[in-house]
Amino acid sequence: MAMKMQGEVELPASREIVWEKLNDPEVLKACIPGCESLEKTSDTSFQAVAKNKIGPVSATFKGRVELADLDPPNGYRIQGEGDGGIAGFAKGGARVTLAEADAGTRLIYDVEAQVGGKIAQLGARLIDGVAKKLADQFFTNFAAAVAGPAPVAAVEPPADAPQGEKKGFIGRLFGAGKADRE
Amino acid sequence: MTATGIGAPVRRKEDFRFVTGRGRYVDDINRPGQAYAFFVRSPHAHANIRGIDASAALAHPGVLSVLTGDDIAADKVGGLICGWAIFNKDGSPMRAGPHPALAQGKVRYVGDHVAVVIAETLAAARDGAEKVAVDYEVLPAAADIAAARKSGAPQIHEAAPNNAVFDWHLGDKAATDAAFARARHVTKLEIVNNRLAPNPMEPRAAVGEYDFGSDSFTLYTTSQNPHVARLVLSAFIGIAPEHKLRVVAPDVGGGFGSKIFIYAEETVCVWASRKVGRPVKWTCDRTEAFLCDAHGRDHVTHAELAIGDNNRIIGLRVHTDANLGAYLSTFASSVPTYLYAPLLSGQYDIPAIYAQVDAWYTNTAPVDAYRGAGRPEATFVVERLVEVAARELRMDPAEFRRANFVRTFPHQTPVIMAYDAGDYEASLKKAQEMHDVKGFGARKAASAAKGKLRGLGYSAYIEACGIAPSAAVGSLGAGVGLWESAEVRVNPIGTVEILTGSHSHGQGHETTFAQLVSDRLGIPIDNVSIVHGDTDKVQMGMGTYGSRSGAVGMSAIYKALDKIEAKAKKVAAHVLEASETDIEFKDGKFTVKGTDKAADFGTIALNAYIAHKFSGQELEPGLKESAFWDPTNFTFPAGVHICEVEFDPADGVVRIDRWTAVDDFGKVINPLIVEGQVHGGIAQGVGQALYEGAVYDEAGQLVTASYMDYCMPRADNLPSYNVGMTVTPCPSNPLGIKGCGEAGAIAAPPAVINAITDALGHENISMPATPEKVWRAAQGVVPRQAAE
Amino acid sequence: MAKVSMVVNGKPVSGEVEPRTLLVHFLRETLRLTGTHVGCDTSQCGACVVHVDGAAIKSCTTLAVSCEGAHVTTIEGLAQGDRLHPMQEAFRDNHGLQCGFCTPGMIMTAVDMVNRKGNRLDETTIRHELEGNICRCTGYHNIVKAVAAGAANMPAKAAAE
Repeated sequence: MAMKMQGEVELPASREIVWEKLNDPEVLKACIPGCESLEKTSDTSFQAVAKNKIGPVSATFKGRVELADLDPPNGYRIQGEGDGGIAGFAKGGARVTLAEADAGTRLIYDVEAQVGGKIAQLGARLIDGVAKKLADQFFTNFAAAVAGPAPVAAVEPPADAPQGEKKGFIGRLFGAGKADRE
Repeated sequence: MTATGIGAPVRRKEDFRFVTGRGRYVDDINRPGQAYAFFVRSPHAHANIRGIDASAALAHPGVLSVLTGDDIAADKVGGLICGWAIFNKDGSPMRAGPHPALAQGKVRYVGDHVAVVIAETLAAARDGAEKVAVDYEVLPAAADIAAARKSGAPQIHEAAPNNAVFDWHLGDKAATDAAFARARHVTKLEIVNNRLAPNPMEPRAAVGEYDFGSDSFTLYTTSQNPHVARLVLSAFIGIAPEHKLRVVAPDVGGGFGSKIFIYAEETVCVWASRKVGRPVKWTCDRTEAFLCDAHGRDHVTHAELAIGDNNRIIGLRVHTDANLGAYLSTFASSVPTYLYAPLLSGQYDIPAIYAQVDAWYTNTAPVDAYRGAGRPEATFVVERLVEVAARELRMDPAEFRRANFVRTFPHQTPVIMAYDAGDYEASLKKAQEMHDVKGFGARKAASAAKGKLRGLGYSAYIEACGIAPSAAVGSLGAGVGLWESAEVRVNPIGTVEILTGSHSHGQGHETTFAQLVSDRLGIPIDNVSIVHGDTDKVQMGMGTYGSRSGAVGMSAIYKALDKIEAKAKKVAAHVLEASETDIEFKDGKFTVKGTDKAADFGTIALNAYIAHKFSGQELEPGLKESAFWDPTNFTFPAGVHICEVEFDPADGVVRIDRWTAVDDFGKVINPLIVEGQVHGGIAQGVGQALYEGAVYDEAGQLVTASYMDYCMPRADNLPSYNVGMTVTPCPSNPLGIKGCGEAGAIAAPPAVINAITDALGHENISMPATPEKVWRAAQGVVPRQAAE
Repeated sequence: MAKVSMVVNGKPVSGEVEPRTLLVHFLRETLRLTGTHVGCDTSQCGACVVHVDGAAIKSCTTLAVSCEGAHVTTIEGLAQGDRLHPMQEAFRDNHGLQCGFCTPGMIMTAVDMVNRKGNRLDETTIRHELEGNICRCTGYHNIVKAVAAGAANMPAKAAAE
């Protein structure tokens, strides 16, 4: 099951700072949704463990991440594959490009990924949405990391804390449902 | 006709247990000390296995054993087989790769069996399976025929270069080409027959048990043919000799072909039960069923019809590519060959037919027989060609069919089959009347006034059922004979047990078979019980598929009842002190011709056992007979289905407005059950036409592996059906039965697509005709009244 | 392990289960009430439908522990001895089943449908209401007839709601 995704995000920091953070395992670990560990195994490779849920399939992915085509501070290619055991696998890569922008840096990403096994069997319809959500989470976290002085601390609970407006909407939904039943 | 005899709509005897939740399916069976199996399956479509590390799994609490392909090879357990040999055009045999029950060094489709974890509980087995570390070297995959046949395609089996399993043909090519050369008109179609997942509602299950004391195995399995399973597990896979292996198929929750086959899981359960010294149970979950139950259909066909003077069909030519998946399943090779091409004459008198079929390995689940098996594919080709030809010739599609019907019997087609009896005109006429075809124009105008499109489609199908004469199928490559067995045991008090090699998994044999006996022996239907599905009780049998239980299974019972009647007359002669030739048997009573002496069936049965009235030298005591019935021909059920659809071009959601089915199944034993078979068949055919499709992505990942993505027809997707019958008795069996199990699934798909294309005014739509496809196809089509 | 107690088909029962144990497995494996079936993994086929506190639910998506103290009715609890419930009788009388695997769920759904919608059910309503129950054998024709007939033969509920 192949998936493609492109997007860009404006970050309030210089390209040099963004580049530095993009290569900092501690920052990446804090920003990658569900990341449980990220260890540097060489200058350009990491071992990672991340726990994610795709539709009804929840899995812990163990895998390696490699950086290639390093071109500081213009960008790199990040690729990897994760083995989710009985849940299947995910592999893919992203081209990350950093360009100068008014607010600081424009980060452009172009992702191609493949999933297989149970994730493809049960989560195929959801994979685009999940990927988009994970990317959004990552960049929300990453934007906070590059902006603030204490990047790691700035990335508390990303997943389940919707913005105020969204929360209000969901709250109204539940409220309405409850009222109906009474 | 009595209230419980042949032709009566008897309420099913088996239903009390099913409506009260007392059915006994394999997953309801638990054996003392039972352990649970969970399979580690490949997430990759094609990969080498570099290693399997089971240490963490073995350390998991409750895990008893982890078994792999190495273990099964070390125990010299044979691979799964394909039981039908097909030969290439040049006479060489088909190219089949090995099919181990647990992968040996390589996996070839997503879901392929890598290892089995056996544990104290299912949860522990599942948890253990998560800890089996498999090191895969991922290989490129060929997920469809186009990818598999390309030069440089990944090689799936060494034995099959270029992934080609066989190139086979049937018919007279030169005569067919000559017909096309002189044709006045040629109709051409490109047809994709979509891949389907069979989806009986009961997932497959197996419990294997080994008894050390007797050195013998028992396998409880969801099988349509437990004796064939025992034969294959014994003679080919080599688990145990037949007298040391009992196979039980209790209540089975639907099959539709997918439970004919001998799969890896039941093989592993029975083998592993000895290995771990515990009964081993496996129950398939639905996603596993999507991955590993043999799929159906998956043909790509180029089809052509040649039309000569007076709108007569003079030739038919097809080239079909068939996807057989990653391994050859039990009967896979027969489906796109001998179950397909011999049906390409349809109901029509076609002098020249030629079929070329190329079969391919791909990195997908094995493909084998699914309700209809080859015949739906053939019928779709013929009935689409005929419909489109009529439209191109600006003829009424029904009249074009009429002009080409076979009208005299027996009729020898150019593709093996000799049709023995039928009246295709009668079915068509009755269907048109029942459907109110005359009122279609007004209905179409009414739809147009609402901005909707309406179309009507015919399907005049024929099938070859009641498979089949053993010598005939043997000459075509079948590895087994296709007779059926029966044993009639009359008890001393006159009750009767029928042991049959047929197997019921929804067809209602406990009722219909008992009707035959009640009718024939004149005894209450409640005094008859039907025993099936246990190799320890029934000596041998071939099972239920290909609409054969009535035509073949009941004929065997009929033959055994002949013997019972003959023996009972001998007993009656002694009891009534008359000459055997003067004994008459009717309505359950033995009488002496010309006298008022009589004895009922129970009295004679008792006397057969107490044996006071005759000496053992004159007559053996007892009343028990058996018979094997080997048919003399296939049977040829046929009929006409008419589908009428309506849809809004703005959303493309097809609604079936009315459905008429008129079928000729020969003599009908129980109309209630026969109509039920028709309903269910139509629903599966409509499913294929409108909703269902098993879809792999280009990497070989199955993306329709649950009911979230594979669209099963629901109650609100389907109409009520208008079902009628015509009857021409089948001359090749004593009961005149033709078979009814597959008709609907065979007839329905072209009826639906012919109706949709009639509404659209063009032929550009493929199955499943989902709302998106229909919406796209309807763009620019303006609703209007019928042309005439 | 957790202890769970409930009333099933009128009898108080209890058992030790893992917290992740589904109601359907508690019924089938612990209580040996095997009339309730599992036909899919995604709560779509409806073979597992039972009544919890009078309402139809899919027991394959309900944790056993969440039914603590509940009154559960399964297909085994519908008939009074040998006397079938009118809905069971209607399925038999209308040939509303073939292999029988989906039948318990169909019947439990149908009874719930009547409880909610009354004794007069038209074809459209029945077909719509059966959306959560899949049958592969019957093509639904006779199931729809059976539900209508069973509904008509069930005692009318006090029309208070």
